[in-house]
Amino acid sequence: MGLRSYIATRVLLTIPMVMLLLTFVFLIVRVLPGDPVLLHFEKAASPETIELMRQRLGLDKPLLNQYFEYLAGLMHGDLGKSMQDFSPVGQQIFSAFPATLELAIYSMIIAVGLGIFLGVRSSQSYNSLQDHSIRIFGIVMYAIPIFFLGMIFQMIFGVFLHWLPTGGRIYPGMAPQGLNIGDLHISTGLYTIDSLLEGNVFKFVQALRYLFLPSLTLGLVLCGVFIRLTRSNMLETLRLDFVTAARARGLKEKTVLYGYAFRNAFLPVLTMMGLQFAVLLGGAILTESTFSWPGLGRYLVDRINFRDYTAIQGDVVFFGILIALVSLVVDVLYAYLDPRIRL
Amino acid sequence: MTLSRKVKGISTTAIVAIIAVLVVVAGLYWYFTLPPAGPEYKDTLIWGTTDSVENTIDPSQAYDFFGWCIIQQTGLTLVEIQPGSEAGPEDFIPALATDWTVSTDMKTWTFNLRQGVKFEDETEVTADDVKYSFDRANVIQNEDSFQVNMGTFDILIDSVEVTDTYQVVFHLKVPASYFLQYVACQAFAIVNPNYAAYDAITEYAEGDARASNPNDLGRYVLTKWERVAGKDVEMWLEANPNYWDAASGWPKTNKIIIKMYTDATALRLALEAGDVDVAFRHLTSTDIEDLQDNPAVEVWEGKGAAIQYLIFQEHMSPFDDARARRALAAALDRSAVCTTVFLGQAKPLYSMIPEGMMGHTEAFKALGDANTDLTKSLLAELGYDEDNKLAVDLWYESSGHYPSSADQALFYKDAFEASGVVEVTLHSADWPSYRQNRNAEVMQVYIYGWYPDYIDPDNYAFLYFATWLHHNYIETANGQAMEALWTQAGGAPDADRPGLYAQIDDMAVQDCPVIPIFSITPYAVTNLNVEGVVMDITQSWRLWLLYATVE
Repeated sequence: MGLRSYIATRVLLTIPMVMLLLTFVFLIVRVLPGDPVLLHFEKAASPETIELMRQRLGLDKPLLNQYFEYLAGLMHGDLGKSMQDFSPVGQQIFSAFPATLELAIYSMIIAVGLGIFLGVRSSQSYNSLQDHSIRIFGIVMYAIPIFFLGMIFQMIFGVFLHWLPTGGRIYPGMAPQGLNIGDLHISTGLYTIDSLLEGNVFKFVQALRYLFLPSLTLGLVLCGVFIRLTRSNMLETLRLDFVTAARARGLKEKTVLYGYAFRNAFLPVLTMMGLQFAVLLGGAILTESTFSWPGLGRYLVDRINFRDYTAIQGDVVFFGILIALVSLVVDVLYAYLDPRIRL
Repeated sequence: MTLSRKVKGISTTAIVAIIAVLVVVAGLYWYFTLPPAGPEYKDTLIWGTTDSVENTIDPSQAYDFFGWCIIQQTGLTLVEIQPGSEAGPEDFIPALATDWTVSTDMKTWTFNLRQGVKFEDETEVTADDVKYSFDRANVIQNEDSFQVNMGTFDILIDSVEVTDTYQVVFHLKVPASYFLQYVACQAFAIVNPNYAAYDAITEYAEGDARASNPNDLGRYVLTKWERVAGKDVEMWLEANPNYWDAASGWPKTNKIIIKMYTDATALRLALEAGDVDVAFRHLTSTDIEDLQDNPAVEVWEGKGAAIQYLIFQEHMSPFDDARARRALAAALDRSAVCTTVFLGQAKPLYSMIPEGMMGHTEAFKALGDANTDLTKSLLAELGYDEDNKLAVDLWYESSGHYPSSADQALFYKDAFEASGVVEVTLHSADWPSYRQNRNAEVMQVYIYGWYPDYIDPDNYAFLYFATWLHHNYIETANGQAMEALWTQAGGAPDADRPGLYAQIDDMAVQDCPVIPIFSITPYAVTNLNVEGVVMDITQSWRLWLLYATVE
């Protein structure tokens, strides 16, 4: 199978996966106890008024009609309107997404960077004190609850040392505007990028200060997996003949480790990066709550409390598509790097 | 000649010396007699909160604490309540209205308006704008609004008439002695017609705080409102140069930045880290207790108007019998809950009307606290004893809508079971399910809370027979008699209001449709340099009074 056919097959497989996901979410939110209609009326409301609200929310129609109307909207890129404040769900998701994406990117950089570095070091010093220490560190990080680690960091760096802010995305009033030249306006919603586009180094530093603790927390928790995976793959690879041959040729140990062994041990790590991206988005819910980070995770929790069916569906479907896309990219990369996958 | 030179020589030196001494003395005198330099005040304060505007800050829709709070800073009502007062009849102060009169039947209220009050665009506020604001809410009829929930136009206000450029008359359908309380609440702030369409709510407009806010007559104007996915992130309030009383120095702080935090823990950490100057709503009881011992911050205690109570479903046996309800009321131990669950930050309540408000009584003390003897004897009359215990399903809300609900429920279970004749099974549901269960009348005994719409006993006493609570007491003769007393207390011009509310409480003790348990004391925590925190019975958070000296 050629690379193109492989990509086409993977894209086609993504469609039923997303369909299954959205059908499941559509049904499960409606099975949950609690009526979004009643949340609009604290006190007395006549049955007619309640029925009017039910009609307004589209909940008076048979379930199948609701489902197909939702699907039809989705085909046109319409995620519907919030059942709580009636604003477009798509707009709400896209306003929160940049914050989650920025947190995810920096967390992933920390997780992968630290995980690979420590994994290689660990394999290099197999069965030594350093190896054991790194392994224990990885296990502890993986096991520690995100909110607990986050609070520890908040206490140390925020309350005791006053070095870093304990929550929020940037200092009040400092949200970068991006690039503005005449009518041209470029803004990514990622504060670190936008501050650079604006050419404002001070805002860039502020954005990093606010980003540091949440991304470190999430990155550390995730790096445990990368440490273990890198270590075990490296240990296997380091035993192979080509590594011995490379060493025999007198190459520097660093070149042998990173240039030869790690390149071969990287494929499973790449797969794990794709899988962990999903975990990272899930983990972001807790991190965002701990650090008052205004992203999609907080949005989802908030909407569940309101039984906002359309918003919950929209959020989960958006996450689903995002994860499917990341998996697709990883699979394609994998197929590109290892032609055996396409066979 | 010699003498003259000498004198002249001496005099030259002396003159210089005298001048030098005089300069030094004058300098010292000036330095030491100067009035001490006044403290320097901060231009900006940062307020941290876990609140967020629920929908909009349009008075025709907003019906949540924080939405009303923002309206209170940026809007203006006809009358206001004197900060720090008990919110009694004599505590109303002029705002947009300079004075007012009421007819003897209490159905016609006339307000004379202040002249020269201007909207942002410098147009003057007239009686037409007042009528526009009230009529608009009636046209919009938003289902989330105070007006619809309270039946403002169905039950109370018949029409609003403009009798002069600066005079407006309200014609009521029924007499209402509490009408000033009513128009003082933020649902009746006067809107700027340029930013408030007659037939549509002013929605949040991303990146445009001005277009999102129909209010611009208050001490502050909203200059920034950042929301992400329907949840507030940051707001800015800046002094309104057009405020009618700006010359008197209001607001005291030019700019207030409001930062939103996810939960109490995040808010507390932000305060301790110095990220915010003020933390208000919501810190937990444990946080407050800890912070009271922290010398770096100041904890401010307010007066409690939010209450919690127990409701019995009278369509479920045996709670269709008042003796069963009284039996459980007697078993409660309010002090223990207040001390243990709320660490002393709540006060036992023996009437639905909170302490410090007209009509408050201690009526429920007649049943005692932890009075298990009475519980046993009443339940014995119904055939329950140690061998045949009364099985009670007690429900509590589990998603944080009410404070420490699970802990409360455990205490009530213990208190009921201490009688030896009651066996309690606890159930919980999150807020959406809890509300659904309430309406479906499937909860036998449940914990509920009340936060007032306006500060008047009228807004508390009705909970005994409110239909929307679904306890169904209104179906009984006593329930209807109680409602009649309540109507009389709220309407008749010559009514003995305290006496009537006391009568209602006495009836409630006999029938126990609901049992008042405690009122919650509100707390704010600030840095030591912050002053001007006033937390009175109105529960209003008046930002224009806050100020802080530069540290």
